[in-house]
Amino acid sequence: MLDATLNFKLLEVCSRCGACFSICPSCLNIPGYDPRAVIKDMLSGDHEKWLGSKHIWECLECHHCLEICFQHYGFENAMTAMRTMAAKKGIHPAQVKRGWEMFVKTSRLGEPAMPARKKLGLPEPKAGGVDEFKKLYELLKKKREEERAADKAAGE
Amino acid sequence: MKEFAVFWGCTIQTRFPFIEKSTRIVLDSFKLPYRDIDGFTCCPEKSLVNNIDHGAFVLTAARNVALVDEKNYDLVSPCTGCVSNLATVQSELKVNSREKDEVNSLLKEVGREFKGTARLQHLIPFFHDVVGIHTIKRHMKKDFSGMRIALHYGCHMIRPSHALRNDDPLNPRKFDNLIRAMGAESLQYITKMMCCGQGLDRIDEHDMALHFARIKLKELKAMGADAIVLCCPSCFLQFDNNQFLMEKEGEKFGIPVIYYTELLGLSMGFTPDELGMSSHRIDVAPFIKKWEKLSAGKAGNPFEEGLNEPGALG
Repeated sequence: MLDATLNFKLLEVCSRCGACFSICPSCLNIPGYDPRAVIKDMLSGDHEKWLGSKHIWECLECHHCLEICFQHYGFENAMTAMRTMAAKKGIHPAQVKRGWEMFVKTSRLGEPAMPARKKLGLPEPKAGGVDEFKKLYELLKKKREEERAADKAAGE
Repeated sequence: MKEFAVFWGCTIQTRFPFIEKSTRIVLDSFKLPYRDIDGFTCCPEKSLVNNIDHGAFVLTAARNVALVDEKNYDLVSPCTGCVSNLATVQSELKVNSREKDEVNSLLKEVGREFKGTARLQHLIPFFHDVVGIHTIKRHMKKDFSGMRIALHYGCHMIRPSHALRNDDPLNPRKFDNLIRAMGAESLQYITKMMCCGQGLDRIDEHDMALHFARIKLKELKAMGADAIVLCCPSCFLQFDNNQFLMEKEGEKFGIPVIYYTELLGLSMGFTPDELGMSSHRIDVAPFIKKWEKLSAGKAGNPFEEGLNEPGALG
């Protein structure tokens, strides 16, 4: 439920195009960063070798590739899929892991800076939504679990 | 004008409360119908949450949008990332009814519903399209003529375009229009549309993040830009904080980083201190000094004033 999907037909075209390579800030400025190579391996089923590579995290998600792409697709979808796969295996930069854990625990990436707010004369921050968020996330996980069990039962 | 909730986002409230300060000053001065509402969580941050769990990304954003939907408000944010993430999910759910049903089946259990009716806007296109340049000019006491400003749009103010639909995603103009309306020159430079690169700091590649900041700052220093003006806390972090870290290592650029709401506040007569600008890591004093010198010159030079009068040159 609510899982990301990848369109391999579009990716097939990506592997032969690469128009976004010339506009992608990471391609232009990070030595060795080339999503075309990753996409080729994804299409031939050799994507696993990229799971431990730092390159799959170097897509800045600036969406330049998406905008210049005549399919309105671009590299970023492939890189996002690779990152999701890597994260599922527990391979991610330490900061990403810390950020994710904080998000799941607090529903935010940081708490309002109270002393500075006071000094600036800012009003009390409004209440967050952490309890409701946590409840929702548990519901999502439960639904996914149920779907998985139903799939399994259907398979048997 | 329709009432709107302000979505401050985590980064502004956690790291840069002075951005909230200048934004509130501007919104109050324009008497805009903005509201603070209970219940918002992280938007959530795409590169972090979407990479790990797309479902959590969609569900969290949909819940935030639902909070605004149910009050029949619109939403405006001074953070590019927040708007881009919320709008991305809103547009995804609008075209994918199966996914929308799945989301709403979960939201229903906490008494909410995603409708997707609220208009989600970043502060810049909001000021350009809704407030309008004429109204902005009416509130200005002093302009920035003679100042050379380098704009940095911030990728997520305008992209992805299918979700935000507010400007040309590769050649945007609205922020330029706002700056020019304030009398400043909006410098056209080679790396203008290049991503700031702050995302690299979030994946433990600090040196590469500095490298990205350096590319733009080097060009701006060579061009003699008086400041870089932007409207995104993540880009602000990249150019203010990381520039400061490079300066500490002996690499001096001296390019003040100014938030749009601060620039607007200055033009309305608020002082840098009132706007919280003393909290910047890179000193804004050179910008303020040059500006004050230029304005003093304009007021106190009858010769030049005479030349600017209609028909002065025959």
